[in-house]
Amino acid sequence: MKAIRNIALALCGTMMIAACTPSVPDGATDVERAARVLPDNDGATLPPNIAPLCFEIQEEGDRFVTRLSTRGGRELVVGGRSVGIDVAEWHQLLADAAGDTLWTDVYARQGGRWQHFRRMANPVVRDSIDPYITYRLIRPSYVCYEELSLVERNVENFDERTFYSNMALSRDDNGQCVNCHVPQRQGQTGRSQFHARQAYGGTVLIDGTDIRKVNLKTDSTLSAGVYPAWHPTLPLIAYSVNETGQAFHTLDPQKIEVIDYASDLILYDPGQNEVSSITRTSRDYESFPTWSPDGRTLYYISAHHDPVGTDIDVDLDQNYQTLHYNIYARAFDPSARRFGPARLVFDAEALGKSASTPRISPDGRWLLFSLADYGQFHIWHRSADLCVVPLDPEDCDSTMSSTCGTRQFHVWNSSVPRVELTLTSRTEEANSTESDSYHSWSSNGRWILFSSRRMDGNYTRLYLSYFDRQGHAHRPVLLPQRRPHLYDELFRSFNAAEWMTQPVASGRSGLSRALQEALRRDARQARYAGSALAVPETDSVATQTRITKQNYHNIYEND
Amino acid sequence: MLKRLPYTLLFLAIALAVMLGPLRPYVAETGQLTPFLTTRVFFHETLSTGPLGLFRYVALFLQGCLSLPWFGALLIVGLLVGIAYATRWAFRIDDSLFGLCWVIPFFLLSTYTEVGYGIYLSKGPQYLFLVVLPALLALLAVGIVHRLIRRSGAKRPKPRRWGYVLSFVAFAAMGYYFWTATYRDKNFLNILEMKQAAERDDWQRVLDLSRRHREVPTRLQVCLTRLALYETGQMGQDLFAYRDGDATYNAPVQQQWMRLIAAPLLYYHYGKLGFAYRWAMEDLVEYGMRPAYLRTLYRVALLNGEDALAGKYRDALQHTLFYHDEEALIRQEAEAIRPLTNYTDQLDGDDGLVEFYLLQSFAMTEGGSREMVELSLMCSLITKQLNGFWPRFMALLPTWKEGIPRHYQEAALMVAQLQGGADTTSLPISDDVRQRFERLVEASARLGDNSSNAYSLRPEFGDTYWYYYFFVEGMKTN
Repeated sequence: MKAIRNIALALCGTMMIAACTPSVPDGATDVERAARVLPDNDGATLPPNIAPLCFEIQEEGDRFVTRLSTRGGRELVVGGRSVGIDVAEWHQLLADAAGDTLWTDVYARQGGRWQHFRRMANPVVRDSIDPYITYRLIRPSYVCYEELSLVERNVENFDERTFYSNMALSRDDNGQCVNCHVPQRQGQTGRSQFHARQAYGGTVLIDGTDIRKVNLKTDSTLSAGVYPAWHPTLPLIAYSVNETGQAFHTLDPQKIEVIDYASDLILYDPGQNEVSSITRTSRDYESFPTWSPDGRTLYYISAHHDPVGTDIDVDLDQNYQTLHYNIYARAFDPSARRFGPARLVFDAEALGKSASTPRISPDGRWLLFSLADYGQFHIWHRSADLCVVPLDPEDCDSTMSSTCGTRQFHVWNSSVPRVELTLTSRTEEANSTESDSYHSWSSNGRWILFSSRRMDGNYTRLYLSYFDRQGHAHRPVLLPQRRPHLYDELFRSFNAAEWMTQPVASGRSGLSRALQEALRRDARQARYAGSALAVPETDSVATQTRITKQNYHNIYEND
Repeated sequence: MLKRLPYTLLFLAIALAVMLGPLRPYVAETGQLTPFLTTRVFFHETLSTGPLGLFRYVALFLQGCLSLPWFGALLIVGLLVGIAYATRWAFRIDDSLFGLCWVIPFFLLSTYTEVGYGIYLSKGPQYLFLVVLPALLALLAVGIVHRLIRRSGAKRPKPRRWGYVLSFVAFAAMGYYFWTATYRDKNFLNILEMKQAAERDDWQRVLDLSRRHREVPTRLQVCLTRLALYETGQMGQDLFAYRDGDATYNAPVQQQWMRLIAAPLLYYHYGKLGFAYRWAMEDLVEYGMRPAYLRTLYRVALLNGEDALAGKYRDALQHTLFYHDEEALIRQEAEAIRPLTNYTDQLDGDDGLVEFYLLQSFAMTEGGSREMVELSLMCSLITKQLNGFWPRFMALLPTWKEGIPRHYQEAALMVAQLQGGADTTSLPISDDVRQRFERLVEASARLGDNSSNAYSLRPEFGDTYWYYYFFVEGMKTN
């Protein structure tokens, strides 16, 4: 009797579920255009391990059905305007679609008739993304900051954790800024670092489960470390040191300029707790260092400016558009820990452009950077686009001239001159007319994580673009969120994102508390160890400072 | 019930009379400064602020209701009445002592009405809104416990005659405390009324408020008056007839109040769109998603042609309480503002000194639209930088179809007298202005030093540019 009752209950349950399970409507009228959906990832190339691309259908109608399907016959049917997708089922679909395409069919019922919109297609490649990313959540503010958090996101699902919030230790007038969480080699070594400014300021070094705070500002260097670059194998970090200020446009919708009034490069050795100068020049503005994968070359950007007048702030505020940054490189001897002379890698100035944030692909073949009309803080520049330069002559495009090298480049955009576009017609989809800037290579070199303001021009969102073996970027996919409206409702930017192959300080419990404890402690003061150049350079003893400014404010001061 | 009704009605009358009477602009401003959105992101963000996140969310909702002052006031006063009755019920207070039950409501209401300028610096809901619901719940919980105790044999207290006296005295004392604690600074309330009228583009109302005000004004009131004069086309005619002043803001801590209260508004209407956006964004970062800031961000984005961004802010505004579409008003404003954006973008900074920046910026401007040239002329007069007077004056002369505005006539005579080299006889300057100027020159010669002149010449010449130029000195901008 009991068994019969159980069977009856099971049958009822099954029938109820079946009644609720949406089915693809028969006899729907085909519509030539794709359905309007939010966010729209139609055509974006997907990795086989990304989180579900949930979306909302923004068509008129009283009922909606969405079918996701693969050539292999696997399908998932979801009802409702808001298309939420189960993570496990999604991954099964992606696994089936890997190397082929994932199709999405949207049906909407309006006035009792079903419509079938043009099928959306997403190529799914076999190259996976690193499972984690870290970023800073920040309102796109200028001088004020509040509620900044360093966040780790599992991009295979929707798990997210804030591993440090600037409100944890101090707030209001004694507030704290946090920035630049950067790992060594996509987090494969367990090492990473970030900065805290003002209250409890210092640079936090995470090495596995060991966490400590150091002060990299010395009497011989401009500032504490700013933009970091971990050496790929050694426990060394190259930094720029910057005296940075902000000035505001009265009319230009770009709204703000973040200008380096002085900048140099340093090398920090955490083992010895020593800082040494890489560049120490008075009229060259070096910044954004990055290492080659073999750790034998340091790339960076640099602009040359001869001061006009005695006040460098006034000078650069008036002439900021003349600052054009090129990309340079210096050989590095890991055993002697000395750098060679600078050589020009990419002459942006010759194009009337300015390069920033160089990053070398893990296979060493490609130099990725952002290119804009001027300056180096490209997140505020609408002209900023991602570009790639082949470092290996074998990668030069057949359409290029035979002299492959510094003058040859791919540009992925529509807002740069036509002469450049002719070289890049296959890759322009990755960029937009808004700022496309801060970027990071995945550990396998097949995915680029980058920031873009293409949604609304002001709030930075993260995109993942597939970079194929021929050096072409594919249409990027917006970082998926469980709720389709999140990006509309969220008034914060996703800032300085980096790939991670494992969680921050993997294996350490209570990371947030440990970071707070580390920050509460006094910072270890780094020692200055002189120049890291193998051969001293003429200008390498000059200290670049703002010449006459009395009450300047450097936004990168520790305190 | 009849014993309780008088107190209830009295409390309602006092609280509503204050909130919807002299404090009405303050109540409305509080609503506009309350960061509350009906989005899920905002709900989750508020809940994640700590264990009291839900109460904070409710408090922000209640405070946000003040955007519609009568509704918000009724809601909050109703809850305070609830607290009084819950107190009586929870502690089984006899009706003879019912007046004591109003101590907490009066005190709580005072914590809100006494804040004054502080609302601009507050990052969360005011204490009143934060505790009103927990207090009500706590009292109900106490009441339930008391009921359980009564079941176990506790006796109800007997009414006492002295209780009526005590009750009334307590109520009256708290009512008096509430009235005296309430911040009713006349400049503050006038600032809020003027600002709110300016936000509605009701410039005539701004001028009426300025004219009727009897106190020495703060710089912000002066700036709002000047903006209204510009918007109504009366700047050249009447600007120096309005009262000038630099009264200190009556706040416990001196801040850049003009920047905090009205920088986005002033910069927006004067065409410095980047600065309007900048300060609205800075404050949004600092103080949260206040509707007041979102409105500026929306307006600037719309004027900039940043449609997607404007849409984002409009969507956010639609998730605020009591949103109403302002697009028509903004389009109308845009027509007035666009001529002021006819200049080459500059990279600049104001250090939060709004009036100083605007005056200097326009005073040093050369060329531009007709509106810019007039502002440039007026700002150079205000800052007493007369070197560029004639080029600006002559550029504007053909545009004054209905005669030269009075202050520019006055300035022309004065500049010609001071600098020489200009023949004003051919200028269409009225006989009245010429005769007044001659009387001023005579009187100055007769009366001697400046300080004695200032006092005695004020009745006759206090509304002229001459008086401003010679006798109004040391006025602190901002």
